[in-house]
Amino acid sequence: MNTPVEIAQGIESQLMAPLYGLDPQERHDSLLALLKKELAYACDRNPRFCNYVEHWPVHFHRANTLADLPYLPVGTFKSNPPLALVGANEVKRTLTSSATTGQVPSRVVLDSETSKRMTKGVTTIIKDFIGPARRPYLVIDTPENLNTQGELGARGAAIQGLGSFATEVVCCLRRDPEGNTSLDLEKLLDCAAKWRETEVLAYGFTYVIWTQLVQRLQRQGITLDIPNVRVLHSGGWKRLQREAVTREIFSAGVASVFGCSPDRVVDFYGMVENVGVIYPDCEHGNKHVPAFGEVVVRNPLTLEPVAAGQQGLVQVCSVLPTSFPGFLVLTEDMAEIIDYEECPCGRRGTSFRFVGRVPKAEVRGCGNLETTRYQQGMGNGLHE
Amino acid sequence: MNDLMLNSAVHSPQEITCGAQQLRETVREKEIAPQTMLEVFEQWAAALDGRELREVPGLAFLRLWLRRGTLEPILLRELGPDFLNGGWREDGSARLRAFPLGVVGHWPAGNVEIQPVLSLTCALLGGNGCLVRIPGGLVEITQQIMEKLHEVDRSGLLTERTFMVSFDHSRTDLHEAMAQAVDGAMIWGGAEAVSQLRKLPFPHWARVAVFGPRLSAAAMDAETWGDRAERASWCRRIARDVWQFDQRACSSPQALFLEQSAGCDPDEFVNDLRQALEEENRAHPREQIEPSLTSGICLARASWLLEDAANRAVFPASPDWTILLGRGTEIPKPTQGRTLSVLLADDLSEVISKFDGTVQTLGLAVKSAHREEEFARAAGRKGVDRVVKMGRMHLFSSPWDGVDLIRPMVRLVRHVRSHE
Repeated sequence: MNTPVEIAQGIESQLMAPLYGLDPQERHDSLLALLKKELAYACDRNPRFCNYVEHWPVHFHRANTLADLPYLPVGTFKSNPPLALVGANEVKRTLTSSATTGQVPSRVVLDSETSKRMTKGVTTIIKDFIGPARRPYLVIDTPENLNTQGELGARGAAIQGLGSFATEVVCCLRRDPEGNTSLDLEKLLDCAAKWRETEVLAYGFTYVIWTQLVQRLQRQGITLDIPNVRVLHSGGWKRLQREAVTREIFSAGVASVFGCSPDRVVDFYGMVENVGVIYPDCEHGNKHVPAFGEVVVRNPLTLEPVAAGQQGLVQVCSVLPTSFPGFLVLTEDMAEIIDYEECPCGRRGTSFRFVGRVPKAEVRGCGNLETTRYQQGMGNGLHE
Repeated sequence: MNDLMLNSAVHSPQEITCGAQQLRETVREKEIAPQTMLEVFEQWAAALDGRELREVPGLAFLRLWLRRGTLEPILLRELGPDFLNGGWREDGSARLRAFPLGVVGHWPAGNVEIQPVLSLTCALLGGNGCLVRIPGGLVEITQQIMEKLHEVDRSGLLTERTFMVSFDHSRTDLHEAMAQAVDGAMIWGGAEAVSQLRKLPFPHWARVAVFGPRLSAAAMDAETWGDRAERASWCRRIARDVWQFDQRACSSPQALFLEQSAGCDPDEFVNDLRQALEEENRAHPREQIEPSLTSGICLARASWLLEDAANRAVFPASPDWTILLGRGTEIPKPTQGRTLSVLLADDLSEVISKFDGTVQTLGLAVKSAHREEEFARAAGRKGVDRVVKMGRMHLFSSPWDGVDLIRPMVRLVRHVRSHE
């Protein structure tokens, strides 16, 4: 089923608007109006979603701010079958999150329209950070993640999302028959020699870049000497934090092996549930919201939006999806609001910094039956 | 202040071993008359009435627990009237008298602020010395409570029998030192904690009482919740039970089952319950919350409403409280954090028949004494250890988890006279 014309036009209008140039209030008002229409549409399409929305303390028709609208916790996207606003025959692709071992991944369904908008959203944002030119694309991953169709993981989605900037694509990792991944050094050095004078785009998951590329090349004392590379990375810091690798250490390490300046290494935050929106760091280390999205950081005690300078739970918003109700998603991440108006980089609207995942509660006490009755086999701490 | 009482942070196994040794010597050398101990506890209860302690969760329960009127009947029931008078109880041709085990180690859970003190008092009443490991988050509150004991226990009768320690939960060497130094142990907490603590190297003679993880539920018959005159009062009771300990105690109700009846309107009930929860929130607002609990509460609300379009819920924009309303006869996965599932059921007997040993307390509001008797029997058969009036689900008393609280930490010495 096609999206109602009014909604489709509203989305297109937000996609065409100046990405980070709208007046914050003007942007808020247009997003609020469009999201209300999308919520009404979603209620018509999914009675269970409608049930949730109708129990919200403030009815969305009466909401005065975007923060008043009903949001879905990200965990609801782990349901099976996935939450959908389209029939199974209209699903073109299913995206899955990168759940760690033992966890259930999120699954979001994309129809043709949402899929196109996702690509357009990501491309528009990346263009703003690296420019529109197509260039050689170095994928710091294995080729298996390059051409997956149907069900697509977060890694594959990110790799493929940047494909429109590529003149050629090279994957520099390889997988042996036992499933072990290693660096294809010969291929990498060939590319480096070929691309020395050109603009190059490189992308990989943060921990993959560090463990498979940076550490390996540093051990061997190899510098690729591609000074015009832009290295984009995503996927979170949890694993590297355990190894005490900070953002600064990471950027310096990547810059040293590519032979580029550390400011050419760009971290971005994104999730499959927030299709079409990614949040790269600007040169001031802040993340920005595009014309077709918003971020609300909520105080965990009150769930009210926090003031600038305060931290809380991140809620991401996007007007792009119409195949699943991913308009307003409360994540399990923490962030700090930097400003609601403008960043020194010139981008307008909400700017924020990612702080980390919500710390897993230390399951404790005499009322905790997690390990016995409800989650057999999942561990917790010793006592507190 | 007596060093033994609140030494708090310890760093080496030797500190624990030495402290335990001192406790053991004190217990061997000096006996305390139970009546004297009850007198000190009574004074302690009175001293805990200070403004500075009013916000400590569960303090009202603790004060009630420490009263002579509470403890004396427990001692009488568990150890008999002769123990109270410091004498022997005749037992046929022999006689019996309770003596302390020696040093009792306490591992209270980290989620109930008053639990270190509750556990401690049980073993002290048996005449024991107590080595108590205070969970990291409870050190300050426990110190505040123990300072009041110090004020009233001027001769140090109880404080010299108490050694409170705190150390990181990962310090296996210190847990082991504690275990090796005790003659008995009282262990409270979650499944993982309990199973790890049970593996500690206790001496072969040590008696170990374990109070492991449980959950609780409440139930109302149609006659009670359909009674407009009484309904608001019952709602205030269940709201209080939900509020205490942020619904994270083993005695916290996670679900309330309402017996379905044609004449009773669940909307009216939910409205009264909402008011009661709002009132509790006004009186005892949260001052902080773990972000993961906020996430869990939001997820519970959404999952419930998305699961079935017939499910309903009432909640404010904040995570302060949540009512999840629907039909069902089984306790859903608990969210805690003041999230109560209110489930309509055709037959409360069916609800109880689905309980297993994980259910500790059943809070009841049932008009007919005959039906209540039936429910209590059925619950007992299904592993429930406490069946109490709704509104009193947290009232700490003996037995707890089906186990006496004082008797397991004493030895009954049998004396057969040599010249009879």
